[in-house]
Amino acid sequence: MKKLWIIAKRELKERVSSRSFLAFALVGPLVLLALIYILFLLGGSEKKHWKVLVMDEEQILNNTLFSSEDPNFSIDFIPLFIDYPVFASEEKYQDYDLSIWVNEKIITNKKAIISYREEPTESVKRKLVYHLERRLDELMVSEFTDLSMQDYRAIKQPLSVSFKNVYDPRSETSYLSGWVGYVFGMLIVLFLFLFGMTITRSISVEKNNRIIEVLLSSASANQILGGKILGIGIAAFIQFVFWIFLIGLGLFWMRLTIFPDWFDPAVLAAELNASGDPFDISGSNANNFVDLVYNQINFGIMLLFFILFFIGAYFFYGAIYAAIGASISGQSDGQQFIIPMSIVLILVLGAGYFTVYYPLSAITTTFSFLPFTSPVVMLIRLGNGFEPGEAWQIYFALFLLYLFAVLTLRFGARIYRKGVLAYHSNITWATWFKWLK
Amino acid sequence: MLSVENVFKSIDKKEIIRGLSVNFEEGKITGLLGPNGAGKTTLIRMINQILSPDKGVISWQNKLMTPENLTTIGYLPEERGLYRNMSVLEHALFFGALKGMPQKNILHQLDTWLEKWGIQDWKNKNIGALSKGMAQKIQFLLTVLHQPTILILDEPFSGFDPVNIDLIRQELLRLKAEGNTIIISTHNMKSVEEICDKAVMINEGQKIAEETVINLQKAHKQDVFSVTFKGNMIAFANALWVGYEIVDKFDKGQDIFEVHLKTRRENTFNDLLQTLIAHVEIIAATELLPSMEKVFLAELQQKKKEE
Repeated sequence: MKKLWIIAKRELKERVSSRSFLAFALVGPLVLLALIYILFLLGGSEKKHWKVLVMDEEQILNNTLFSSEDPNFSIDFIPLFIDYPVFASEEKYQDYDLSIWVNEKIITNKKAIISYREEPTESVKRKLVYHLERRLDELMVSEFTDLSMQDYRAIKQPLSVSFKNVYDPRSETSYLSGWVGYVFGMLIVLFLFLFGMTITRSISVEKNNRIIEVLLSSASANQILGGKILGIGIAAFIQFVFWIFLIGLGLFWMRLTIFPDWFDPAVLAAELNASGDPFDISGSNANNFVDLVYNQINFGIMLLFFILFFIGAYFFYGAIYAAIGASISGQSDGQQFIIPMSIVLILVLGAGYFTVYYPLSAITTTFSFLPFTSPVVMLIRLGNGFEPGEAWQIYFALFLLYLFAVLTLRFGARIYRKGVLAYHSNITWATWFKWLK
Repeated sequence: MLSVENVFKSIDKKEIIRGLSVNFEEGKITGLLGPNGAGKTTLIRMINQILSPDKGVISWQNKLMTPENLTTIGYLPEERGLYRNMSVLEHALFFGALKGMPQKNILHQLDTWLEKWGIQDWKNKNIGALSKGMAQKIQFLLTVLHQPTILILDEPFSGFDPVNIDLIRQELLRLKAEGNTIIISTHNMKSVEEICDKAVMINEGQKIAEETVINLQKAHKQDVFSVTFKGNMIAFANALWVGYEIVDKFDKGQDIFEVHLKTRRENTFNDLLQTLIAHVEIIAATELLPSMEKVFLAELQQKKKEE
């Protein structure tokens, strides 16, 4: 065990001190954060000040939209309806970024159209809708009731309706939560590929420059293999922690700086009042993805199972990558093994994609237990949520993954022991089967 | 003593070692000789416990070798390899730790060797920054750093310049004098003649000879002598008359000649010298022993005849 740890420490040090490790640790999360940022802003604009023309033919709003001044908006009213082509092309309207058409029957049909030259951010959209609704409430209350606005808001209870599939009552969060599981699964596949290839490369380098001879005269093949997989695994885990920390920090920073108004306590409080349900801020027009990331995903559970599946999958695939590394020699560059492995990982991603859209199919259930696919598929299913009584499936999948990891480690070690000393042989699949007999 | 007793080993159904028995004594350097594919590397790997014998035993001081014995073995493989991105110090700490050395001892031993060879400034250099010869020197250092009692060296002189060959040779002689068991696997027969006390010759997984180098050479000597003299070649030839046969001659210039000759009848080396001394000025005279290469081929032929 001591020798295994010595070898693991050397591997870890070599990986962590390499420039590529640091670059991957920084660039990877930044790329992912950039993607998240793009998703947050999907279709949005970063414009800070908006000039709005309210087309209120019947002057229903009485030239008032916001209850107080908002420095980000300047609002003009016009008692006309201006058609889109005119608004789009006529010079006198060119200064306006948005137009709001207040339907003459808005009180009864609740219809308004907001048109734009450049699509506003989700927060701008939400703010406009919120203030329009609020203004209409005021008008309706004064016209049709004797209530004060305060009383009205106190008794206003919006109807919350959600559609549920009787066979899948928990899928109300739509495909989005499945996609979050998929992103976690993709991270596993990405890390498996990168660090699996690191194992392959490290072993083949030691084999081909013959350091392995010296190592084998000091430690057993199992100790060397175990140390190598462990050391690179710890490096992968450190890399992963880096990613989680940086992504977490990035999301927190985005929440505080780039999208502060989405979480502005005043806006939030008003929305909560409006919705009446303190747990339902998704009832607003917030970007679903933002809502999902900040409110719906149980990152604690996801991270826990991500780590458990990651460790199992790493040892399961790592042993195969180690066997590939030991099979690379002067006569064989290992492509015959690497290409099928890469295809397997692509198929795993495909299985994940299938699971997002068909979470309840029989194939998905099969994928959930296959050690090759379970790390991705189970995380997607976890993102969707398990019904009570189904939780055993994830534990069983984990058990199978770890069981097969032990088996592949044993097979991998056998091929490693034989292959690592076969310098001049052309090692093929047939050789593997012969060695495994 | 390191004993290999009736060892068999097959790899991929091919018999590589066939009933090999050989002893490697303490305080001696044994040359392990044989053509490519003879089974030398497999034997070395079995001693190093990289491979285990299918049959037979390998023992050290009359006890079966176990993984614990690995700490007493130093192994220098033929094809050298170190980690290019690791410094000499990092290599020492890594390989020393694998051999069970405490860190303090590793640092002490490393400093001692670096100081001894005057290469202290290499300590923190990466292997990638050293020349091939320098890296080989470091690999030898790492092989002996943990003060092994069994030293197995595969082609230890290859890749070294003459100065460093002599340096390594002196170190090996010193380690031998300290009572260590040293095994050298090589194709360089000259180095065997120069440094080995004993030679073990193997071919196709079987031992064909195990004897001291001098005895092997004597067993195959052909009573050929070398005489270097100053004088007249004709006078030299006349003096020999019919008692001797000239095998070869070399003109060294300035009336100096080296002649290889065989004795005939009952004539001895002393008789030869007495015959010549009155006619030419003798500079050197010695009995010519066969090279280990010739000894190996002769032993191989003899073995084949016996079979």
